[in-house]
Amino acid sequence: MSKRIHSGWALLIAGLAICTVSQAQQAPGGSTIQRETKIIPIEPGRWTGKRLEDGQPDVQGHWSNTIANHNNWTDPQGGVPGDPNPRAIPKTQRSERAPSRVSDPADGEVPFQPWAREKQQEFLKYFHDPIKPEYIEPLARCAPAGVPKSFTWHGFEIRQYPGYVLILFNSGWRIVHLDGRPHLPGNIKLWNADSRGRWEGNTLIVDVTNNNAKARLARTGEFFSDNVHIEERYVFDDGGQRFNYVATITDPTVFTRPWTATIPLRRYTEKDQIDGWNYEVAEANTPDGSLKHERYERMCIENNGPFGQVAIAPSRK
Amino acid sequence: MMKRLLSVLVIVALTPVANAAEKIPRLSNGKPDFSGIWQTTSAADYDLEPHSARIDAPPGPGVVEGNVIPYLPEALQQKQQNFAARDTDDPRLKCWTLGTPRGIYYPEPFQILQRATDVTVVFQFGQSVRTIFTNGTLHPKVTDNEFYLGDSRGHWEGDTLVVDVTDFNEDTWLDRAGNFHSAKLHVVERWKFLDAHTIEYHATLEDPEVFARPWTLSVILHRHREKNFQLIENYCFTRDFDKYYPVPAKE
Repeated sequence: MSKRIHSGWALLIAGLAICTVSQAQQAPGGSTIQRETKIIPIEPGRWTGKRLEDGQPDVQGHWSNTIANHNNWTDPQGGVPGDPNPRAIPKTQRSERAPSRVSDPADGEVPFQPWAREKQQEFLKYFHDPIKPEYIEPLARCAPAGVPKSFTWHGFEIRQYPGYVLILFNSGWRIVHLDGRPHLPGNIKLWNADSRGRWEGNTLIVDVTNNNAKARLARTGEFFSDNVHIEERYVFDDGGQRFNYVATITDPTVFTRPWTATIPLRRYTEKDQIDGWNYEVAEANTPDGSLKHERYERMCIENNGPFGQVAIAPSRK
Repeated sequence: MMKRLLSVLVIVALTPVANAAEKIPRLSNGKPDFSGIWQTTSAADYDLEPHSARIDAPPGPGVVEGNVIPYLPEALQQKQQNFAARDTDDPRLKCWTLGTPRGIYYPEPFQILQRATDVTVVFQFGQSVRTIFTNGTLHPKVTDNEFYLGDSRGHWEGDTLVVDVTDFNEDTWLDRAGNFHSAKLHVVERWKFLDAHTIEYHATLEDPEVFARPWTLSVILHRHREKNFQLIENYCFTRDFDKYYPVPAKE
């Protein structure tokens, strides 16, 4: 097995190990994950920053969310409720922590229909004691984190090309088509869905369909169905140093009304320390010795280190 | 009149050459632009070497120069064992990333997205994305990362992209017939347009633990030109557990 673990995976394990150690002194989530408590508003408007040859705002580079990982959707810095690890219980008051990722409705709660709320609670109840395979989060098996959870998982890279925005996540990729073509036929369902985008000023607007809805939004079990329609707005600040991911999520089979998710993110550059989580890159070997960071291949065999290695798929044994 | 005829002849004589050079897509820096979705029509992934039809492979003339992969004696035995166990042991059946060069001639499309600084190869099959750096950076100083796809550094020789690939693991095969390599594999690829919609791809493989000498394979890659053609993610390794995640529904 050791031969099959390459650096990307080793980094991942290292990141998780660091999380575990740091929990002794820190709030849950680990010191390697950035933990701002405020979301800085960014208004949609004109783009005054750099542009690429094809006219797109140039937002290429490395990015990561600024508040937490995917432990908890509505209390991002609150840990996973019911965590048997006493060190994982937050020592702060709710008001001291980052707000819910649900920015509308104002109460910060996902507007589930009653039956769907029960399903979410059921997943959460068994998260720390997964008595059935369905209670193991798919990400623990290296499934792509999907839309929108990928933005709360490790840092990622955006590359742009005429007609495309490519997002390289820790688990999987998304190719956003900018040419106005129709979506894939509706019966095709995908972990990372199907993305059609366009730029309006400082905002990349992406229409997302064909979601297989198998990836939960967080370890707290929030979900939607494969009928979900997501309109994403990536609103970039003038300096190109931050963006807010604002997604309107519509799914009448699961929710009582459309709702909005907001995830704040910031850019990472050579000025930042490589940390194996928000900024998961390596130093390039430059002929002149200048500092340059680059992304290595990412491969996930199993991501269930903290969960007793219970999630190994048959083909991996 | 004669003069005019002569000039027409000169134009006719020069035109094909000039067009061939102009017709391939180029980036604004003048380098060939391989952006697009590509796939081979060859039977390379079934067996790199010439083979007749068998239950799990259509026939193929082979894609190896000289027809035979020059294995060292012990390695040849291993290859034969792999061949005998190919129904169960091919890493592709576990959906593992196919590696370099196998990902290039596997019978599913891959997409190239290209900038002046790098060539990104997104494979439909598996979770893998390969970056060929063309920004003048060298192989990492750390040489035991043991990547599935290797570490790829490219440079241009005229209109040919030459890519040096090192630092592999030993968990990938070269095809379904059990052709294999060790972590000492070193690949040199040559990518060149034959015309705007066709790439000639060469890979020279060197591996002192497995091969007696370097050898070369080559395939032709065709551009997908179907209307609105796109990659459809095939993470594949999720198939084993897909069934555990039905979309929650009202009972």
